[in-house]
Amino acid sequence: MTASAEQVPAQQITVLLVEDDPPTLWRLQDALDKAGFDVAAAATLAEARASLAARTPRVLLTDLQLPDGHGVDLIRETRARLPDTEIMVISALGDEQTVISAITVGATGYILKDAFPSDIAATVRDLVAGHSPISASIARFIVRRTQASAEPPPGPELNTAKLTPREIDILWGIAKGFSYAEIADHLGMSKQTVPGHIKSIYRKLEVHTRGEAVFEAVQQGLIKL
Amino acid sequence: MTEAPAKPAGGGAPPLRGRPTASRLAQYLLLQALIAALCIFVLRLPLPEPASRYLVSDFSLADRGETRSVTLPDFVPTRASMSDSALFTGRFSWSARDAGSGWSVYLPRFTNGIVMLVNGVEILDSRRDSMANRGDRATPEIALVPASLLRDGENELTIRLFVWGPISGFLDKVYAGPDDALRPAYEQRTLLFVTLPVVFAAWQGILAVILAVMWAMRRSDTAYGVLAIAMTLGAVQAFLQTTIDQPAFPVLNATLLAAAPLESGCVLAFGILFFTRKWPRLWGPLIFLPGVILVLIGLFGETETLRQSFLLLGIPTLGVHLLVLAAIVGASEMRRQDVPSLLLGCAITIVMTSLAHDMLEVAKIIPDHRIFYTRLSYSAMLVAIGAGLTFRFAQALNRVDGFAAHLAIQLRAAEEKLKASFAREQERERAAALARERARLMRDLHDGLGGQLVSIVALSERDKDSAGIGDAARAALKDLRLVIDSMDDIGGDLMLALGSWRDRAAAQLRPHEIALDWRAVPPGLPVYPELRPWHVIQIIRILDEAVTNAVKHAGAKRVTVSIETLESADGERGCITVADAGKGFAVEGDRRPSSRGVRNMKNRAARCGAELELSSGSGGTTVRLQLPRRFPEGDAVAG
Repeated sequence: MTASAEQVPAQQITVLLVEDDPPTLWRLQDALDKAGFDVAAAATLAEARASLAARTPRVLLTDLQLPDGHGVDLIRETRARLPDTEIMVISALGDEQTVISAITVGATGYILKDAFPSDIAATVRDLVAGHSPISASIARFIVRRTQASAEPPPGPELNTAKLTPREIDILWGIAKGFSYAEIADHLGMSKQTVPGHIKSIYRKLEVHTRGEAVFEAVQQGLIKL
Repeated sequence: MTEAPAKPAGGGAPPLRGRPTASRLAQYLLLQALIAALCIFVLRLPLPEPASRYLVSDFSLADRGETRSVTLPDFVPTRASMSDSALFTGRFSWSARDAGSGWSVYLPRFTNGIVMLVNGVEILDSRRDSMANRGDRATPEIALVPASLLRDGENELTIRLFVWGPISGFLDKVYAGPDDALRPAYEQRTLLFVTLPVVFAAWQGILAVILAVMWAMRRSDTAYGVLAIAMTLGAVQAFLQTTIDQPAFPVLNATLLAAAPLESGCVLAFGILFFTRKWPRLWGPLIFLPGVILVLIGLFGETETLRQSFLLLGIPTLGVHLLVLAAIVGASEMRRQDVPSLLLGCAITIVMTSLAHDMLEVAKIIPDHRIFYTRLSYSAMLVAIGAGLTFRFAQALNRVDGFAAHLAIQLRAAEEKLKASFAREQERERAAALARERARLMRDLHDGLGGQLVSIVALSERDKDSAGIGDAARAALKDLRLVIDSMDDIGGDLMLALGSWRDRAAAQLRPHEIALDWRAVPPGLPVYPELRPWHVIQIIRILDEAVTNAVKHAGAKRVTVSIETLESADGERGCITVADAGKGFAVEGDRRPSSRGVRNMKNRAARCGAELELSSGSGGTTVRLQLPRRFPEGDAVAG
């Protein structure tokens, strides 16, 4: 992403990395270690839970397909128990299937498994600085869901009812590849406020309980009717 | 009879619903009063008469053994026997000088029958003329006197008057003169009192057929059936042969002649059914009671009794029926203000006025000329009924036409909507199928190929010698993302595909420390509804190729991507430019970048209908892709 904030020294940023593929785990850990982060690693859900119980990381990076369970459960638990921990999902392709399902349980971004080491470190640093990254394809997926359609497109459930028109406009701008500055200029707002809006979008897409998810789905259905 | 023109008041005015009923009623009554006045005026108009010098006025009347001298017109009392006639004897003069022209005797009006003799020779017997035997038709008679009968000077004219009731015998003025002087008056009277009633009777017959057919096709409309009966009765009655000497069925004849109250009852029943739409079960049958009594008398009683009861029962019944009908029609006109009610209302007024006139005449309250207009004025009602029915029919046709047109419009709209919705449905089906396929493919690739490629990248990074393998694996991953990405439904907005490409291109350039300068101003490119995933893949591959060339060969520090919409004479065209500030190369030569790569780019552009311009020089390389106004459906270039 763009400028990386350097307020917090990398050494003080604790990262828990959960990835079951050893070469990938090694690669990511190497990239973060070299950038100076304090990295703990886990290869299974059980290991990750044990690590979380022992120490509260500032950042959690997790794969979704784990040998003894699903990363979504880990994200949900962490989000509920450790609200100050930033969560990102590690994805092979950056596809919305993975990323959106992680976002709805509390993740605020993703890293590609094959991203260059410098990009991996920069993304984590941005996240800690409060800049939740959002890619054009994820923004595109979200705004396509805000458009009225008779039947929901395939893919993970996503409730966009809470998004404001302004937030949707920002998402359109990102989806079309415009920079934050161009979006801010076009929408007549300050460039600095765009990351805040994105964080807010992530929070609004989060579904807190299963009951709420059902309720909102019903409500949306009623609105469409 | 004059057809009353319904000019004043509500005649042609559109119905005004808000008007108070009282004012509407006053208007209607005023109109009827006007019609009645007009009617009286017409009835009092003198009938055509020949010159008075041909008048034979002094007669001696031999009646029941008495002889007295009379001046015509004159009345004689009714008598029981047909053989007992009143004998009028008069004289007229004829000179031999008049021999050149035919000499006629003209009798404008008499009741009920005459035999005429000139100089003792019978020249006319009206009883053989069935028209003349009908009391309700003022049939005139004229007879050409054979020249051999005439004597120079005084000639004797004898008229035997036969009277068979129910009213007293009557003999109007008698004219004797040249035929050409008398005949015009005779012809006019014949037209008015003989031909016209026949014409109207024929009209009544046609109405009877039309109504019967209508009722046969629409059994629920009892009103038409009842009216058909009335019309049939009237038509049969009008054409009935009324020879006095030997009628084929004397009883039936007399009965039918007395059927007028039955006919008027049927017309009243029609009025009740047609205008109020419900039949009064309690008093409804009473309408037909007088008619039925008269028929029973006709069938089982004496002819003389029938004649008397017709006068005493039949005529007042007609009056009562007319009054009730007038009230019903008037009420309907107040309620609906439609043309049939108004027409029939005016016609009833005409008939009532005529009936009153005739009754006053018979009662000798007004000068009695024995001219009865009731039957004749009844034709006004027939005309009104015909016109009203035609009006209703035309109105129904219009309504059907309107309904049909409305239906056709609705049908067309529904069809259009259906077509559009079908096309939309198909489009959605297609998009949904693509999205499902993409989701499935993505899951497969993510779980399998994607993870493995990432592992290859990771493994290759441990070993510096296998950097090439890592790059290849990274390129494969990038391509995989491109394929998945371009399968997404972007609704023709190419900017959405370029947005994801920007992320990928920036990630590709960053390790080489090349900056991506993205120049796009909202809204960017026009929307292409016909844009398909394969178009997107071709365009993105062209851009990838341009960026890869810049990385590999140009040695540039910056790649600029400009996205703009150009306004040209024939509309808007999207244009994407990838430029680097690198070393450049000879476009036409065989030198690097491989001519194969350039050929590929041009080929891809051509398949999308886009134009690719490549320019390179010392200032760097520029790839300019001008998008078509409309993307082609199939491959523009095969292969």
